Amino acid sequence: MSTFVIVYYAALIAASCLAAFYRQRSIFAMLFSLTLVSFVLGIIGGAGALRFVATAAFVVALAAGTSFCFREFLIMISRPGLAKELRTAPLTAAFGMFVIFTYSIAGIFAPWIAPHGEAEIIGQAFAPPDETMLLGADQLGRDMFSRIIYGARNSVGLALVATMLAFIMGATAGLLAAVKGGWFDQLMGRVADVIMSIPSLIFALLMLSIFGTGLQVIVIVVAVIYSPRVFRLTRAVAGNIVVMDYVEAAKLRGEGDWYLVRKEILPNATAPLIAEFGLEFCFVFLLIAGLSFLGLGIQPPTADWGSMVRENATLISFGDITPLIPAAAIALLTVAVNFVVDWMLFRTSGLKEH
Amino acid sequence: MGDLTGLVFKRLGLGLITILVVSVLIFFAVELLPGDIAQAVLGQGATDETVAALREQLGLDRPAFVRYFDWLSGAVTGDFGVSLVSGERVSEAISDRFVNTLFLASYAAVIAVPISIMLGVFTALYRNTLFDRVANVMTLTTISSPEFFLGYILILLLAVRATLFPAISSLSSDMSLLELLHRAFLPMLTLVLVVTAHMMRMTRAAIINLLASPYIEMARLKGTPPWKVIVKHALPNAWAPIINVVALNLAYLITGVVLVEVVFVYPGIGQLLVDAVAKRDFPVVQACCLIFAATFILLNLAADVGAILTNPRLRHPK
Repeated sequence: MSTFVIVYYAALIAASCLAAFYRQRSIFAMLFSLTLVSFVLGIIGGAGALRFVATAAFVVALAAGTSFCFREFLIMISRPGLAKELRTAPLTAAFGMFVIFTYSIAGIFAPWIAPHGEAEIIGQAFAPPDETMLLGADQLGRDMFSRIIYGARNSVGLALVATMLAFIMGATAGLLAAVKGGWFDQLMGRVADVIMSIPSLIFALLMLSIFGTGLQVIVIVVAVIYSPRVFRLTRAVAGNIVVMDYVEAAKLRGEGDWYLVRKEILPNATAPLIAEFGLEFCFVFLLIAGLSFLGLGIQPPTADWGSMVRENATLISFGDITPLIPAAAIALLTVAVNFVVDWMLFRTSGLKEH
Repeated sequence: MGDLTGLVFKRLGLGLITILVVSVLIFFAVELLPGDIAQAVLGQGATDETVAALREQLGLDRPAFVRYFDWLSGAVTGDFGVSLVSGERVSEAISDRFVNTLFLASYAAVIAVPISIMLGVFTALYRNTLFDRVANVMTLTTISSPEFFLGYILILLLAVRATLFPAISSLSSDMSLLELLHRAFLPMLTLVLVVTAHMMRMTRAAIINLLASPYIEMARLKGTPPWKVIVKHALPNAWAPIINVVALNLAYLITGVVLVEVVFVYPGIGQLLVDAVAKRDFPVVQACCLIFAATFILLNLAADVGAILTNPRLRHPK
């Protein structure tokens, strides 16, 4: 038995005892069941498996610590009203905000952070990591790390633009449908039904095969595919507001449709719409990543996470995990946005699930 | 029962109309091409004669409506025309691959459906416990990961590090069923992970929604044992949402299958579609899209019909 294994079990059992002593039942249950599982894992996988568990626990603890500090930092710098809201945020939401913050820094300051240009060839194809290249080179000898940093700008930027367009189209149509009603409402509803009756990826492939794979084409196609979701939500939310007395009063005052939308409905529909924006962003981001992975998204030499995975996939068969980093970056951002959206939905709906 | 059959037939009719509208969309979307198919396929360098010849060959001189009805009547009998790239009949290219895709999707469904419904019910019953929270974070992570990420992780772990399963699923018709199941294991597992996460979350939400209703509370208050509350009071009303969840997620499999097939080089219809899009082989693209869309619509239809049929209020009219 190596020292590592002894320290591992000693730490686990000590932590379980502490948790039991302070009557933290769920923490105790988790730690102790982890100890029991470790016995089995240790017998099957040896010290390697235990090392993996220890690393995973360390990473989770580190993430939790970072999110805790980030939440405290946010509470410190924000106004009293906002700070009170932030205090209710669970650690997962704080983690999400931290990740989003990091990504936006990477995206905005990409040219200053990345040591090399995104299309600059500086080494041999698939060169291993060294002092100049943190993660080694890709299939053409470009610096992988720099391309991942630039990917934050290109992939996320494109998804953001597409989401905004989808949102503007869907929300405008939804608000107008709620205010005007009648044939406009019916027509928009049927159009949304037809678009939603085709699977999104299939629809995107059909459109891209016809119009080619330009950036504008991708943005417009993706926006069209996802705007019906926004339309339905906006229409439902706005539909509940339109029947309120104060909207009726504004109508009787002789205000136009545009005034109703802007001054009466939108301010009361912001919370669910913002949460929907986050969800929508996740869908759009995953769809565009999928298209890029299929070679139909952002075209080379522009750095993009989806196509980077595809281009370097051969490395995986040699047991190298570098090609998975851009894919993990996609997953991490989507998880982060989902965490934040979960918290927002929970807050706005007042849902406690008891 | 007259009410019930009426509702079902109405829903079936609506589904048929949706498929028709989608077929119109798929056919006429290609008409939106700047120029026409012949010009798009032959490109800039084509002479007028070659374009005219291809136009003749494809029958583009006839009006679009006539060609649409030709295409649709062909599609109904399984004839999707001729591939622009290989000159092969589209139906021949598709038929084997379609069987493969169906095999993969049903393989995944058979494993994913029971697991996810069980997990969904458990997380709903033990909600807000540690088990529920861990399950919540894990499913959220799975949902948020692109399919190709999960696929490559599985390749790395189960095909490269531990050489248990092949990383590339090459199938042929003379393999035994066991061999087929072994070869298709990794793509199946990827799909199962994604679909289970979705299905479990939806089942959990549906059951929690149900458990919050007043008649469940009433049953509890009058002292019915917990298992009886679930089996006699909750379950009859839970079938509709559960069937809905299952059908919707099987429909989700349809989209997931495209990316997974490309990752594992699985000889299915999704891979064919992606290749055809890159080569701009329109008859193949149209055929694949129509098949995917029709399956998607049919599954949604099945969800609705299932929900109608299992609704106790409709089955036992007053």
